[in-house]
Amino acid sequence: MNQHLLDIRHICKQFGGNAAVSDVSFSVDEKQIIGLIGPNGAGKTTLFNCITGFYPVTSGDIIFNNKKINSLRPDQVCHSGMARTWQTVKPLASLTVMENVMIGGFSVAKSIREAEDIATEQLLLVGLTDYAGKSAGSLPIGLKKKLELARVLATQPKLLLLDEICGGLNITETDTILSIIRDIRNKGATIVFIEHDMKAVTSLCDWIVVLNSGEKLAEGTPEEITHNPDVIAAYLGGSQNA
Amino acid sequence: MNKQIAIIALMAGVAAALPLMTGENPYFTGVMISVLMMAALSSAWNILGGYAGQYSFGHAAYFGAGAYTTLIFISRFNLNPLLSIVAGIIVAGIIALITGSIVFRLRGHYFGLASIAVAEIVRLSVLNFDFTGGAQGILISDVSLWGFDLNSKNPFYYGMLIVLVVTLGITLFLRKSKTGYYLQAIREDQDAAASLGINLSFYKNKALLISAALTSVLGSLYAVYIRFIDTTAVLDLRLSIEIILTAIIGGVGTLWGPVLGAVLLVPLAEMLRSNVIGDTLVKFGIVSASSGLGIFLKENLAHAHVLVYGIITVLCILYLPKGILGLFGRGK
Repeated sequence: MNQHLLDIRHICKQFGGNAAVSDVSFSVDEKQIIGLIGPNGAGKTTLFNCITGFYPVTSGDIIFNNKKINSLRPDQVCHSGMARTWQTVKPLASLTVMENVMIGGFSVAKSIREAEDIATEQLLLVGLTDYAGKSAGSLPIGLKKKLELARVLATQPKLLLLDEICGGLNITETDTILSIIRDIRNKGATIVFIEHDMKAVTSLCDWIVVLNSGEKLAEGTPEEITHNPDVIAAYLGGSQNA
Repeated sequence: MNKQIAIIALMAGVAAALPLMTGENPYFTGVMISVLMMAALSSAWNILGGYAGQYSFGHAAYFGAGAYTTLIFISRFNLNPLLSIVAGIIVAGIIALITGSIVFRLRGHYFGLASIAVAEIVRLSVLNFDFTGGAQGILISDVSLWGFDLNSKNPFYYGMLIVLVVTLGITLFLRKSKTGYYLQAIREDQDAAASLGINLSFYKNKALLISAALTSVLGSLYAVYIRFIDTTAVLDLRLSIEIILTAIIGGVGTLWGPVLGAVLLVPLAEMLRSNVIGDTLVKFGIVSASSGLGIFLKENLAHAHVLVYGIITVLCILYLPKGILGLFGRGK
């Protein structure tokens, strides 16, 4: 029946009377990279929080891998094969970089040794091997973002939700992260990522979903989106949405 | 890790030999029992507070649960003391699970406040039930185990020592286990932990259960040792706070911090209580007994050990946020 890896159906999320997300639907197919964009306050992170079980949805369905996951806890969502990073990085500060990634690895590993192996592999992938013994809190922001990435990859997710993984980074750092993401994609991962950097989004994504004021404004290929007048208006502050 | 095991073994060896070296000295043994008990209590609290980051301000509830259950079973049903201790663990475990399932929904300060509330509910219940002896408490006469007379202090000295070693062993084992890493992840950031597949309430409850079980065993030992308990002695908020302060001053979230805290604080409190400090100052003529300071030392300082704890805690939080152990640059 449902062929999509992730199917978001008419999701609404209200805080009191405010609709942070209203009636958003889109779907993600395997091996796709989907960009979720929109101005500040559009509801992107709220949508992520709903999908990953941190917020209960007010209405609508989230179907992942042919299963309804609306009422799962965040840890159950993780075990079902979906992992997320955080817009504001959340390193486990007093633990080492290695231990941070091992903790991600424990969701699949059966022993300490296995978790260490997974962690070693992921640290190599993101280029943090030299920092394995450092405490996570002492890393600069660029490396913390890489750590976030290594840590979620260690949970070996089918679907990766990246929340502004390039936010706050300089051009060089952004390029490194993007090349890591390309790497992951070439290995067959499916990714949904929130990003402000239009260049990053258009260069990476197969499909883009645009949110504005909690509603889906448009979706399409990067080509279509960059030429969509509604999207341009929303970003540049046109009269149509006033 | 092997080094730590060796240090624990060494400490246990020295502590085990201590009564043989000092000979029969009930006062010294009594103080040492208090030191070992506080070290073990604080270490048990540390599993939940230090590693999982859940600051329980109500650990007296589990101490009291062990103490009361054990003495009730001994005095009413004449149950074997060891089985009575097991009964105490079960009761403490039930209280822990009920508490955990409710208060672990709360985070940070709210969890701390709720843990006080639960402990007060336990205290007031015990105070008002008949079978717990109410305000009169419970008094038992001589206790024996397998023909051994338990009226001397040494069995309890070794009992406390064993529980301390077991607690340190569990802590050491947990630290490098999946559960230990998960607890530390929860301490550092609960949302990040959940997003990495950690079932928060399961692991918090697991930590609480281990911590509560160990605490209740200490409560049981204490009750049989003293042979009289009431709510002030075993269920008071003061006890919960002393347990936390010992860990904070020694070093929260470290293996040896709570032990160090107890080794420093319990004798200090004892000296204040027995007025050793005041007497010494007067004896050597540093302070005249009739002067204002002399009278203060004699009359007031003895009652002020909690005040001294408080001052030390404030100083520690200001200048040694990682506790005294942090001075030696050992984060873990």
